[in-house]
Amino acid sequence: MNLSELFPSLTDENHEITSPASIKYNCVAWAAGKTNHGWQPGVYWPIDSSREDHGIGNPVAAFASLGYEEWADGTLEPGLEKIALYGTSMLYTHVARQLTDGKWTSKLGQLEHIVHSEVDAIAGSDYGEVIQFMKRHLETRWPKR
Amino acid sequence: MVTMESAKPLVERFQFLKDDWKRNTRHLSNVAQISLVFSYQNIIGMGPAVVPLILKELEKEPDHWFWALEAITGENPVGENEAGDLEAPARAWVQWGKQKGILAR
Repeated sequence: MNLSELFPSLTDENHEITSPASIKYNCVAWAAGKTNHGWQPGVYWPIDSSREDHGIGNPVAAFASLGYEEWADGTLEPGLEKIALYGTSMLYTHVARQLTDGKWTSKLGQLEHIVHSEVDAIAGSDYGEVIQFMKRHLETRWPKR
Repeated sequence: MVTMESAKPLVERFQFLKDDWKRNTRHLSNVAQISLVFSYQNIIGMGPAVVPLILKELEKEPDHWFWALEAITGENPVGENEAGDLEAPARAWVQWGKQKGILAR
């Protein structure tokens, strides 16, 4: 199954593949800037959590612990790093991180990273829709010395 | 003639369900979403007889089989330091299978 079958809104024009496939880490880890583990609630997660809590509130709380706060939209704002949390009514499904040019980077499960020009390019699929944006100041990630 | 999927021999049925599960979940990250897929639930429903097939699969290719193995066997040999990975838990489960005599040493 190729990417356009998995993600109906993905076209040759709105994305590019930017890494080989890897089972080492997943989208949540990649959005947090980590590549040494797959992040799963109750298994490897930045806050205490049960393994059964897969609602959208859990990754919101997890990223809040990393300095993010809930935000209204995903427009590019200088000095801010934003993430988009996708989900369905039951589950969070995916997290994408905005790059400094306004595009988004996503690790697609066990598949590749892609850069997609619109946050919705991977919505409307098994990922559902963007449920929540969050932002933090870039200094939070790269503190000035 | 109507044939029921569940009437297929165990190995053939497992292969069919495993291929369907992998095809439909490679792009997913949330283990709950990965495990809720119908074919994965079907594999869990096959019970202890499918454990050797899952372990052999894990030997070949690490994947999110841990939920199914724990649900079927009631055990979890994965250490705290091995969690959050696919390769280390896969090794732990394969080792468990060898210790239990399910897989050849």
